Formats: sequence, structure tokens, C-alpha cells
Amino acid sequence: MITMEGKKCYINGIGIISPQRTFDNSEFLPEVRSYDNNILTSVTPDFKAYLSPVQLRRLSRMLRIGMTAATICLNDAGIKVPDGIVTATGYGFLEETEKFLKELLERNEKQLTPTFFMQGTYNALAGLVALSVKCTGYNNTYVSKGFAFENALQDCLLLLNADPGVNLLLGSYDESAAVQYKAGMRENQFKKEPVNSLDIFSNKTDGCIQGEGSAFFDLSGEPSASTWCSVEGIQMIYLPESPDELKETINSFLLKHDVQETNVDLVVSGMSGCKSKDQLLENLERVIFINTPRAYFKHLCGEYCTSTSFGLWLASSILKKQHIPETVKASNHTYPSRIETIFMINHYFNRNYSLILLKRKLEVRS
Amino acid sequence: MSQRVFITGFGIITSVGNNTAENFQSLVKGRCGYGELSILDTIHRTNLPSCEIKLHDDELKKLTGVGDGRGYTRTTLLGLIALQEAISSAGLTNKEVHSSGLLSATTTGGIREFERHFYDLLDLSKEGPFAQFADTANPGEHCERMADKVGIKGYIATISTACSSSANAIIQGAQLISNNLLDVAICGGSEALSKFTINGFNSLMIVDAEHCRPFDNTRMGLNLGEGAAYIVLESEASLSRRSKTPIAELKGYGNANDAFHQTASSPEGTGALHAMKQALDSANVSPLDIDYINAHGTATENNDLSEGNGIQSLFTEKVPYFSSTKPYTGHTLAAAGSIEAVYCLLGLQHQMIWPNLNFQHQMPELSITPVRKLMENVRLKHILSNSFGFGGNTSSLLLASA
Amino acid sequence: MQQSIDELIKELRTELVKQLNLEDMLPENFDENTPLFGEGLGLDSIDSLELVVLLDRNYGLKLKDPKEGRTVFYSIRTMAEYIYNNRPQQ
Repeated sequence: MITMEGKKCYINGIGIISPQRTFDNSEFLPEVRSYDNNILTSVTPDFKAYLSPVQLRRLSRMLRIGMTAATICLNDAGIKVPDGIVTATGYGFLEETEKFLKELLERNEKQLTPTFFMQGTYNALAGLVALSVKCTGYNNTYVSKGFAFENALQDCLLLLNADPGVNLLLGSYDESAAVQYKAGMRENQFKKEPVNSLDIFSNKTDGCIQGEGSAFFDLSGEPSASTWCSVEGIQMIYLPESPDELKETINSFLLKHDVQETNVDLVVSGMSGCKSKDQLLENLERVIFINTPRAYFKHLCGEYCTSTSFGLWLASSILKKQHIPETVKASNHTYPSRIETIFMINHYFNRNYSLILLKRKLEVRS
Repeated sequence: MSQRVFITGFGIITSVGNNTAENFQSLVKGRCGYGELSILDTIHRTNLPSCEIKLHDDELKKLTGVGDGRGYTRTTLLGLIALQEAISSAGLTNKEVHSSGLLSATTTGGIREFERHFYDLLDLSKEGPFAQFADTANPGEHCERMADKVGIKGYIATISTACSSSANAIIQGAQLISNNLLDVAICGGSEALSKFTINGFNSLMIVDAEHCRPFDNTRMGLNLGEGAAYIVLESEASLSRRSKTPIAELKGYGNANDAFHQTASSPEGTGALHAMKQALDSANVSPLDIDYINAHGTATENNDLSEGNGIQSLFTEKVPYFSSTKPYTGHTLAAAGSIEAVYCLLGLQHQMIWPNLNFQHQMPELSITPVRKLMENVRLKHILSNSFGFGGNTSSLLLASA
Repeated sequence: MQQSIDELIKELRTELVKQLNLEDMLPENFDENTPLFGEGLGLDSIDSLELVVLLDRNYGLKLKDPKEGRTVFYSIRTMAEYIYNNRPQQ
């Protein structure tokens, strides 16, 4: 029997670029963008405000997005140099990989330039962030598809448990690339007909919509002046066999963190809009947290391997702003005005399930 | 209570052996995998000899028992061979395998199959057997597929930090065990040769057409290789429950970033130094206690200078024996960390140090010289294994006899 | 008819802006004597490799040793001179 020890961390800053206007932390979903063609792409700021001309020259679109999200996060947390950087991605930098492959095949393996090859490596973002702020500490990148972000968060939790005084930068990125869209279409992952992104839960068809984004979080093992919430714990479940197995796991998870179902103010759920793959989660909603208000988010960001990071941004922003945007409300419950504890559950194509518990940081007495 | 982390099994496949026994024989005999490519279809098959495993995918499928193996990439198949040997060598029951974690590393994933069927895959009007590789290029896929085949469900993670990947997989596995989140973690990596990597590295002008010469003054770059290796990490508590004798202990590790350049290491070897020092400090071991270093030693001008300087800076009183085993296997990229960890474990088991083949000319910038001939009956207790990658990723593992 | 050095310089200005993605640079403002690496434009070793490929693709010239790049790629003028002196006869 594996006993899980509670390991928590604090969130001190966030930087996120997504298919919604989320790059400005002073706002909270000021508008809701909808998409009609099943492909969601990022709403980006003016990169010149965040990146140097040298960086802009060399960086691909997704690297610009990732580097900017990291910069926004560090500014938000008031940190110049973190002590470590852990990133996550499912498919990596697909545009650059595709460009290199195309050239390779068209030129029959002759006279190839290195830039696309290098910019296509999975750890390019973690390496470039480290380089730009001269962070010589721990550096890692997870590429475990639907678990990548969760693995990265788990890694951070363990590191912070050992060394609570440090700051870690946790980041994710995934691209709405045509290459991946085609792969997904072949595997029946995406919807066959165009659906408006805001209708994916009422639409009741199979398949998801493709999304993208990059989200960075500054984490510490001890609360700081910038802290507003904590990640109390995380749990991953691979290929659960039934709603009962999930329910049991959730109950042990809550027990371990000394939380009762009734203490949870909001459930943030990664319902994806794919009728068949959402089945387990839908069945679960009938047996646990029946009386708890729910929020969904994938109509805003689409589905991608590291979409849990968007969910984490949403949950932590709700805790910070003490406001639940109308667009994410997904049940008929009365939504609380005070939100202290949020339970997050996400899945990626019914294979990778994750549970995250968040709590608002209580005011520190001066 | 923090758990000590032991090693209770391992498995490996490289161009010098399809399993542990064959690899060991090659190490002793000095047999290398460097040669012309006969399985990968590339224009560079003769002008950029590499270390290829002379088994076609069909033969790999037979060895792994995956039947028609629909959707199994070469990276997955190689990984599976090594994983199956690791599980068997650790004597894990099905139940124990079920609750284990699998932490695998790769940089290529299924890119070899993707490049082969590139145009067909991207033309949605086309159908055919190639469609089995529709979604196998991404790196995480191989790990889930291997986990599903052998029945692992406890923890699944894939890591990709260039050439330090599988070392980092081992480090994370150790972290999960010492923090009581897992009893057993099977960690390592797998990498198949591909046009993508051969041409990618060639475009950086760091590939040598000749057999590589690590730490040699005339070195001109690396040779690429393919392979896979996994080591079974186990907590002290699990060891005792299973009454198992460990092969070795993973006593310490270090992970740092050079933060110097995207694809080059600092000439002073700052990242290398940090990673090695961290490994020593985490194990409470002094530099004087290190008996041998398995160097990353890719034979690029940059790495060997950087790493050599890093070693000299850390081991100021006495530099341990050191060598790079990459002339045997080539540079197996993500799998290098775990392949070389297995070579270190074999060294500990047999009290042998593998030579740094092809070394002839001293680098004037360094005062240290690698081991040139096979050493037997060496008293080996503490070994460091280095793995450094693009993006400044530097990792080091400290292995100790149990 | 072989291009003159001045023609090569003009061509290289445009090529380099394109190949190296120098977004804010106009080819006509690209001084042919400005050092490309280090102090001048601040290009790095990856850019150097890009220029090696440019030489090969556009002018059929292969630099076997990346270290040769230090002198050849010193400035647009030295590049033009190298191409002029080494270009395969048409």
C-alpha cells in the first residue's frame, strides 16, 4: 500500500497566453472569444513589450508565446531569477519540427539549417528561459501527453517539500498545429463537423476541439507576500476502470488532505465536450460532489495535452478575484460568493485523470 | 521518513548487444557498433556511419511478443526489449509491476515513422497501413504503450531534456521513491535512429564521419547511436519486503543548468561542475571517494573541453579514473543516461572500468587523461555518471555498491 | 557572367536579412563592413551555421570546418570577397 504524504506549495504569480484574453493579470476574462472551426489559437500581446529584438529574431511563434508567458509570470511574482524551471508539453514545437522535416525531405537530406531543428526540441523553452534569466538551478521537461503538466507539478511539489524556501517556475505549452490536427482527425480525436466552441457541452457529439496555450506559475514551499493560494496536493490516475474507482480515489485524496466533500466550494472540471470520452466524468458527477457547484473550462481553451494548466489558472484566479465568470458556470447550483477551497478534476481522452486541490491563502496577520 | 533508493534490476539493448550479457561481452572485448547503416534509409548511410542495432522492426516485434505490433514505433520496440529484461532481472511479480512507475525518456519518439510516411499521413484523403503511425510521433506515446503492454499503472511519466533525458528520468524516479510515493520505479530511455536526428545533428556540424574519439585532441564530433536501457529503482522498505539483494544504491544525483548557450556548454564546464557537485553533496560523499566517472564524453570539441574542465575544477586533489563509453555505442541521445548507468552498474558488479576507446592525443587544455585500456579487479565503490544536453541541461548520477 | 563584389554585397544584404530574420533591418542600411559577430551585429554560432548553409545553397561553396567561418563571415564584404574568389567557374 503506497501512502501518499501531503506535499503542498504556494502560487505567487501566473503568466498565461491562451485562446482567451488572459495575458493581462489585472483582467479576468473581460470578454469571451468563441471559435467556429474547432481550432482555437492564442490571443497574444505585443511581444515587443516582453522580448528583446535578439529573442524576437530567433524565436518561433510558440517560443515567443512561452517566453512571454514566463516573463509575465516572473513579473507577477516579483521574482527575477527562479531557483529552478520545470516545463511540460504534449506535442512540443510542432511547427518547427514540421519545417525541418519538410526541408529534409524536399532537399533529400542536403544543406539543412539548424535553427528549426533546435527550436523543435522539447526542452527548448525551459532552456531558453534559463538562459534569459541565467537560472542555473534544476531544469526539467515532461512530455507525457495527458500527464505532462501534472508530472511537472508533482516534480515541483517534491522539490519544494525538500527545499521550501526556493522559487520554482512551472510552465506548460502546446500548439494548435495543423500537423497535430490532422493526426487527431485520423484518430477521431476531434469533432467531424464544425461546432461553436461555446456549444461543445450542449452539442453532445464525439470529438473535442483543438486548443493551445502556454501557462507559467511561480511556486514556493513557503507563502510570500505575493501568495494568494496553495496547491494542497495532486494525484494522477491512469486508465481508471470505472466511476467507482475514480470515486474511491477522490475520497482517499480528500481524506488525506483533511477535506470533506462539503468543504469544497467549487469543482473545476475538465469536461472536454467529447460525448464518449466524457462518459466517466459525467457518471461521476452523479455520485460525488452532487451538491457542489461546477465550472467547466475547455470551451474557452480547447483540448490539448497540458490543458490542466488552463484549469489551474482558472481555479487560482477564481480564488484570487473571488469571482466566478458566468461563462464557466456549468451547473444549476447556487454559486458561492466566498470561495476558499476548489477541487479540480481533469482528464485527457479518458486516459489520464488528475485531481488537484487548491485553497485560498488565509490573510496573514500583520 | 526519506527512503534510500536501491537498484534491483536492469535491461539494455544497444548496437553492441541485444541484452545485458551481450553488452557486457562487447565492453570487455572492445567491440563497437560503429558502421555503415543498413536498416535506416538515409543518404548518409555510408558517409555518416552510426551505431545501428542490426535488427529490423519485424525482428524486434518477435523479440517483444507484440504480434503484428500495429502502431509500435522502433523507439517503443527497443524500449520494450530493455524494459522486459529489466522487469525479469528484478524478479517483479505482475502485481508489483502493476503498482510500479514507468519513467521513460526519449527525444525522437516516433519521428522515424513520421518522417517515413510524412506526406501520406498529412493527406487526409489517403488511407493505408501507414495510418497506424498517425499519432505515434509524440514522445509520451511510447511510454504509455510500453506501460500498457507490461501492465504498469502506478505512475507514468515521459521526460525529454535532450541528452540528459534518461538521467533525469532516473532522478525523478528516485525522488518519487524517497518521498514514499512509489515503491518501485522503472526508469530509463529509448531512442531509435532517424533521418531527423542524423540531419539535425549534422546541420550543427558536430557529427564525425570517423569513429569518435572522446577527449582526444583531434576529435571532430560525435557518432549517433540507437538503443534503450531501464533500471529498476526500489525503496529500502520494498527491498526488505521482497527479501531482495540490491545490485547497487542510487546514492545521490544532481541536476543543474549551464545557462550559457542553447546548444553549447560553457568552456569552463560550470553546469557540469554544478551537477557533479550536487550529486556528491546529496550523497554526502567527498570527491576523494569517487572511484570512477563515466563521462558524457561525446567527442565534440565543446563538450569534452567543458566536461574536462568541470572535472578538473571539482576534483582538485585527485581526479578519479574516467572514460567515455560512447565509442562503443555511439551517442544514444535520450537513452545515453540510462545506457551508461547500466554500464556503470556492470562495472560495479564486475569491478571493471571500461576504456575510453580511440584516445591517442592529449588535449593541451586539460591535465587529465582518460582510461585507455580495460581495467580489471579495480576496487570500485562510488561511481559518477554524467549526461549533458542541449538547453544547458546537466545531470549527474552517483551510484554506489550496495 | 560572374557577379562583381559589389553585386554580391547587394545580394548578400537582402539574403542575410531574410535568412537571419533581421526583422527591423532594411537591406540598404546594412553596412557591408560592420562586423557580423561579437561587437557589431551580435550574431552567434547558430547564425554562423545558417551562413554556412547559405554559402552552400546559394553559391555552391562548402565550408568543411566551422572555424573557417570566423574569417569568411567577418562582414558582408569579407563574405562577398570569399564568394568572388572561390566561386565555381560558370
